[in-house]
Amino acid sequence: MSLHVAFDGITKEFGPVRVLHGVGFDLHPGRVHGLLGENGAGKSTLMKILAGYHAPTSGTLSIDGEPVTFRNSRDAEKRGIVLIHQELSLADDLTVVQNMFLGHEIRRGWLLDDRAMRAQAVEALRQVGFEGDPDGKVRDLIVAEKQLVEIAKAQLRNARLLVMDEPTASLTPSECDRLFGLIDRLRRDGVTIVYISHKLDEVERITDEVIVMRDGRFVARAPTAETPRQRMAELMVGRELTDMFPDKHIPALGKPLMTVRGLTVPGWAEDVSFDLHPGEILGFAGLVGAGRTELFEGILGLRPRSGGTVEIEGRPVSLRSPREAMRNGLTYLSEDRKGKGLHVNMGLRDNLTLMTLRHHAQPLLSPASEDRALEHAVASFGIRGNPQGTASSLSGGNQQKLAIAKFLEPDPRVFVLDEPTRGVDVGAKRDIYFLIARLAAEGRGVIVISSELIELIGLCHRVIVMRGRRVSATVPADRLSEEELIAHAIGTHTHH
Amino acid sequence: MPSAPTPTTEARGDRAAPRKAGRRFDPHRFGPVVGLVLLLIVGTALNPDFATWDNLMNVLTRTAFIGIISIGMCFVIISGGIDLSVGSMAALIAGGMILLMNALAGSVGSPVAVVMLGMLFALLLGGGFGLAHGYLITRGRIEPFIVTLGTLGIFRAVLTWLADGGAITLDNDLSDAYGPVYYGSLLGIPVPVWVFLAVSVAGAVLLNRTAFGRYVQAIGSNEQVARFAAVDVDRVKLLTYGLLGVCVGIATVLYVPRLGSASPTTGLLWELEAIAAVIVGGTSFKGGEGRIAGTVIGAVLLSVISNILNLTSIISVYLNAAVQGCVIIAVAFLQRRRP
Amino acid sequence: MSEVARYTRRLVLGAGLAMTATVALGGALGGVAVAADTVKLGVSIPAATHGFTGGIVWWANQAKAELEKAHPNLKITVKTASGAPEQANQLQDLVTVTKIDSLVIFPFESAALTQPVMQAKKKNVYVTVVDRGLTDTSAQDAYIAGDNTAFGRIPAEYIAKKYNGKANIVALRGIPTTLDNERWEAFTGVLKQYPDIKILDGKYANWNRDDAFKVTQDFLTRFKDIDVVWAADDDMAFGVLKAIEQAKRTDIKEVFGGAGSKTMVKTILDGSNPLIRADVSYSPKFIYDAIKMTAEARLKGDKLPATYIIPSSLITKENAKEFYFPDSPY
Repeated sequence: MSLHVAFDGITKEFGPVRVLHGVGFDLHPGRVHGLLGENGAGKSTLMKILAGYHAPTSGTLSIDGEPVTFRNSRDAEKRGIVLIHQELSLADDLTVVQNMFLGHEIRRGWLLDDRAMRAQAVEALRQVGFEGDPDGKVRDLIVAEKQLVEIAKAQLRNARLLVMDEPTASLTPSECDRLFGLIDRLRRDGVTIVYISHKLDEVERITDEVIVMRDGRFVARAPTAETPRQRMAELMVGRELTDMFPDKHIPALGKPLMTVRGLTVPGWAEDVSFDLHPGEILGFAGLVGAGRTELFEGILGLRPRSGGTVEIEGRPVSLRSPREAMRNGLTYLSEDRKGKGLHVNMGLRDNLTLMTLRHHAQPLLSPASEDRALEHAVASFGIRGNPQGTASSLSGGNQQKLAIAKFLEPDPRVFVLDEPTRGVDVGAKRDIYFLIARLAAEGRGVIVISSELIELIGLCHRVIVMRGRRVSATVPADRLSEEELIAHAIGTHTHH
Repeated sequence: MPSAPTPTTEARGDRAAPRKAGRRFDPHRFGPVVGLVLLLIVGTALNPDFATWDNLMNVLTRTAFIGIISIGMCFVIISGGIDLSVGSMAALIAGGMILLMNALAGSVGSPVAVVMLGMLFALLLGGGFGLAHGYLITRGRIEPFIVTLGTLGIFRAVLTWLADGGAITLDNDLSDAYGPVYYGSLLGIPVPVWVFLAVSVAGAVLLNRTAFGRYVQAIGSNEQVARFAAVDVDRVKLLTYGLLGVCVGIATVLYVPRLGSASPTTGLLWELEAIAAVIVGGTSFKGGEGRIAGTVIGAVLLSVISNILNLTSIISVYLNAAVQGCVIIAVAFLQRRRP
Repeated sequence: MSEVARYTRRLVLGAGLAMTATVALGGALGGVAVAADTVKLGVSIPAATHGFTGGIVWWANQAKAELEKAHPNLKITVKTASGAPEQANQLQDLVTVTKIDSLVIFPFESAALTQPVMQAKKKNVYVTVVDRGLTDTSAQDAYIAGDNTAFGRIPAEYIAKKYNGKANIVALRGIPTTLDNERWEAFTGVLKQYPDIKILDGKYANWNRDDAFKVTQDFLTRFKDIDVVWAADDDMAFGVLKAIEQAKRTDIKEVFGGAGSKTMVKTILDGSNPLIRADVSYSPKFIYDAIKMTAEARLKGDKLPATYIIPSSLITKENAKEFYFPDSPY
């Protein structure tokens, strides 16, 4: 039941822009392929061609030696090819069972056969280890559960080739472990898997071989066991990656820039205290759901607080909105770039100047003044893309740079970045790390909330670990290690 | 401004090409204009009187009410809201201002002064109603559809009650003093057309060249993002409804001298015409994106259709509404967005 | 009510129905009639959305006030509805909650309300239908209406006579309904006999001042020589006059409205507008008459004739006084 896929000379053009330049390689049955490449390398486009969402401009796609043309994703599904999207494509208000049969409902005459659908769904869910309520709404599931539902749904369609695009982006380590176990089992059952991820440690762990793409071209393939991470990253970026992180210049601890004492955000964070110093990069580690994002939303006044104090530059503040936070010198860039960070349908300029429109109004807005601000930001943050296009036309990394530029426009003293490199390619990640270091060097306090331990270890001067709504540890730079942070985050740490 | 962090890596020339070309010229933007021009050609072909100055002024003058309301509505819709009550609101403002002017006529000597007071009252009342909507929507956290559906009934019912089911009529000498506001003209162009033009220009400047206008678009495009970007979302929304209320007030100030009366049919279905003008003009019903010029053209287009139908007899009167429906759908088709 | 009494009553109704056609208005029915102790009368009418229906509501409440004062054992409940479905619901409430025994209804639509009225009648409610007849006349005991044919015929005859069979006319119509069609056919039917009278065009203006203003503006653009505008409604005539005034047209000699509203009748009486010289009566007062007739007949245990048409008449300066009710809103 395995299936062999061959790409031959695949090109794809969107209007005048060519995103794939004659890609050719094979996917071998029953293996897990790590598909690597920076954002914009063409991985997603190629996989969408494989799954029937796009048609190639030229070139051939063959399945088990036979050239095929898919008109839509249904055609691909019939051949057993299923793509699980980066942004999960489940309908929030339908139940798990309803989602699994969406568009493929079993009917008895004019009516839906709910009983048959439920029985099949429950069996598929059991196989992937889903423990939630099959009749509950998808809205109430956590991301890891949604992922299991997606995989179970693919199983129902007898998937023989599964494409997973960034499946662990919002999973906790234990959820990742469970997913990897499942992938292992699928492989043993003979399912071919294409695994797209920026997390090279995962790729190293679960794939049999890696295939690297760059700029719409196939670059290399190699057995995973023979390819160290450093090599993978170099193949993706196309140059030597000597040093991913800037040098740490830990500031002398003087008067704190921001002081938080005993802050409680009911339901999310309890009795949290910390200091942030000028020039410091302070990390926040913890599992998804540990309350890090919600703590800062509470500080901004977006969630109710029930106790505690916040001081910025010695002034006690009680913020009620991001607007008040900005006036007091604090800005916060959310982890949810498309939902809370950028207006993806608006232009670069309009996004950049939204927080500081007053500076460009005299009293009418001056487009020239705004354009100067954009030019300046494009140059100083290295934003690449069409300045006249919308934010959605930028790659993930450039969107993130634009978002950082936007939240720096009000010139905050304290800058909070939540998951600053989520969905960002290796090259842009490095840009962002150096940028953060520079912001700190200018005397700002920078807070980085991240689920990527390597990032926290490489970048931060101090890391606060949260577990179950509370601060469980503050780890100084010289003691930062993956083992230490994980131990505090999941509560297995024993004091030395 | 932050002191600029310099680029931390040298620019890599190999992937600087933009992924997607910007939309500098989009033929779909001109759908309403194309529709209007076609209608003007058809109108002239069917009846030469259509293209006369007097007829065009008639059409523009009668468009003024809906047009002015549409401009306010454009802001509300761009911000992601809706106001269903504008027709009823206009009726109640009209009734209220007539009653006030009739009452003042005894105590205030000059009819002109009475009319001025009446006009001021209309604007204040409109702004007040609008702010009340905004307040219920932002602070009360009630859906705008529900709030304004409620006031749609309330406003009209109160007017009907004030009028005893009949009409509220402006006293004759006041009517004479007030008449020029609708019937007068300046440089050969009727006063309502001038006001419509002024409101349009002001609306376009407000939407495209002020922080408020940008905030309105940002909120409609994605309210959460706007909130995180330190926009005072509630205040901006409140003001859009207040602005629409003032627009309804202005429209009413122009409307009252036309017939000198308000009745339960005053402003009937204006809300649908105003919303249709906004949408036909290329504003997204989902909010975020909108155009004042398009709205003005949309409003004119809607009244040109009925004008042409009145000037000809080629289509059965029973089918008038069908013709309007077809034109609206056709124009919407011309300016539709690509997915 | 006891079983026997109900049975008797049904008999009376049956007998009454058979005989009503021959009995004059308000006439006694003879020995079989049983005077009711109390009468609960329900009145279901359209809500006041324009001048005419405003008048309907005012006259209905006027009838309630006067009749309840005169007859302590009479209870009148007035309900207004803004659409046929709402009216049907109110009808149910009147029957089941208010427990009416008599009903005066001005139906929104004939077809839609026939069944609901039939249901009420099956519960022994005496039904008087006003203005618009039901599609199944067995659902009604009595029918009282204004004369829609005369509403169209009278202005046509007036115009034909006054302009010696030669005139250019533009006409406004109301809302596409059978009512409007009856008037329009009566109007055009008369004028067919006069080859020199031309009806240039007729467009709907929805019995609405604003729409009448707009349609008239366009008529004035389109036709350079108009003698008479048949506005077919006094509200619409108001908009017509404003449009003519704005265009400063002097070719138009007369605007003929309809329904005999207070302001129009006053204008005719005072001769204050040379364009307004006559009108045709179609007063909302007929709801008052219908309620009064029904209530008084029921109190005495009488029947009404099956059909009673309240005549429309031409109003001119000479007789305008008879049609002027200063207290009515319409």
